[in-house]
Amino acid sequence: MIDKKKTAKLVFGAAFLATLMGAATAFAAETTATAAVDWRVSAAKAMAAGLAMSVSALAAGYAQAKIGSAGAGTLAERPEVSIWVITLQALPEVIVLLGFVSAIMING
Amino acid sequence: MSEQTVSLYAKRPGKDYGYCNARARGMRSRLFTRAFLDDLMEAQDVKRVIQMLQDTEYSVDIDAEIIHGKTFRSIDEALKRNMVRTFQKVIGFSNDQAGLLLTTLLGRWDLFNLKTIIRGKHMELSPDEIAVSLMPLASFKEVDLNVLTREPDVRAVIDTLATWGVEYAAPLRDAVVEYIKTQDLSFLELSLDRYYAVSAANRLRGRGQNYQVARRVLGAQTDSTNLLTVFRLLKADMHDIDPSRFFLSGGLDIDEAQFSALAAMSDVDEVLDRLKSTPYGKPLEEVVLTYIEEGSISVFERALEEFVTRRAFAAGRGDPLGVGILIGYLWAKQNEVTNLRIIVKGISVGMPVERMRKELIVV
Repeated sequence: MIDKKKTAKLVFGAAFLATLMGAATAFAAETTATAAVDWRVSAAKAMAAGLAMSVSALAAGYAQAKIGSAGAGTLAERPEVSIWVITLQALPEVIVLLGFVSAIMING
Repeated sequence: MSEQTVSLYAKRPGKDYGYCNARARGMRSRLFTRAFLDDLMEAQDVKRVIQMLQDTEYSVDIDAEIIHGKTFRSIDEALKRNMVRTFQKVIGFSNDQAGLLLTTLLGRWDLFNLKTIIRGKHMELSPDEIAVSLMPLASFKEVDLNVLTREPDVRAVIDTLATWGVEYAAPLRDAVVEYIKTQDLSFLELSLDRYYAVSAANRLRGRGQNYQVARRVLGAQTDSTNLLTVFRLLKADMHDIDPSRFFLSGGLDIDEAQFSALAAMSDVDEVLDRLKSTPYGKPLEEVVLTYIEEGSISVFERALEEFVTRRAFAAGRGDPLGVGILIGYLWAKQNEVTNLRIIVKGISVGMPVERMRKELIVV
């Protein structure tokens, strides 16, 4: 069953990070408009990009760990479904890709 | 030995049900369908049944047993071996929590084995005659049970259990004096039942959904044992005995007061009327006509066993990452093996297909 406390923590964490990244992006955009070269802008961008990449990688890793253990169990009993297991195992990679794209967009 | 098994699982870390549930689901997909059982019932003889089963996952056990002859006895032994192997495999790949919950629920097979050995020793049966009925599905291994069957008498069986440090030795030792005095086995059996009901309920006292699912199955098991006792007391017309001494605690819907009230009733109709408000009312009422026809308590015993099996199946339909999947699978496997044994026995004695179909438990 889904643990309510864990879900609340995850939602809160995600919201916090989204806010942080949004703020950093907005701040970056505003300061670019003024064309002032401020080291704080670069730092905020780097931090936001780093967060986008690392959090998405952690999430993908968590998902792959869960899918991997269940997939190993399935393969032990039904080796004929190996293609499905590999496909499912690869799916969470999309999360990292999205994080990577976000990071590039933030820095871009 | 049960304590050893439990501590073994307690050392294994993790509560990840992803791996073990995926394996159990994979194994469940290989359980026989109704159509296959129908084909099996149409088989001409035992040899044809062997041929059909050799194309399934029972082939390893069938091949190992048919060297003793292609008989009903060989298939029965093969089915038993397959079930034992499957149960041990499931417990082997379960995580620590599932291992604890499953071995606790399967403790009923420990009781079954101990009662069989004690009854066998009481009746002075040979070790081989006793061994045929044993099912090493829980904490006792086959070799342990074989040692127990070779003991000379009931007292020696209990002493051996005590030497091994098996938890069931204590309740048996408490009751053995009374048994020796009266030669009444019910003292030993009741003592075992009571001990298991209390110790299993204590082990399943943990928090969380998985413990709750296991408690529900155990509670249904305990209730059905209590109800069966009520029917036996009614049949034996033992109104002069205090029924509460037969009551097992830990049930879900039958408490001690209700048990005593049921046992004090004069006939089965009254009992069923009283049970209407409980989940046991409907399944028992469905078989009351058969009971009237046959006059045997085994009709109710079967209905209650079916109820517990359905309760275990229901556990398997809950949380996909919980212990219910494993419980549901083990009970489904047990159900399949029981049905196969009914079919094989039916074919070997030339039972009509319709009769066999009627005899099958839950399909």
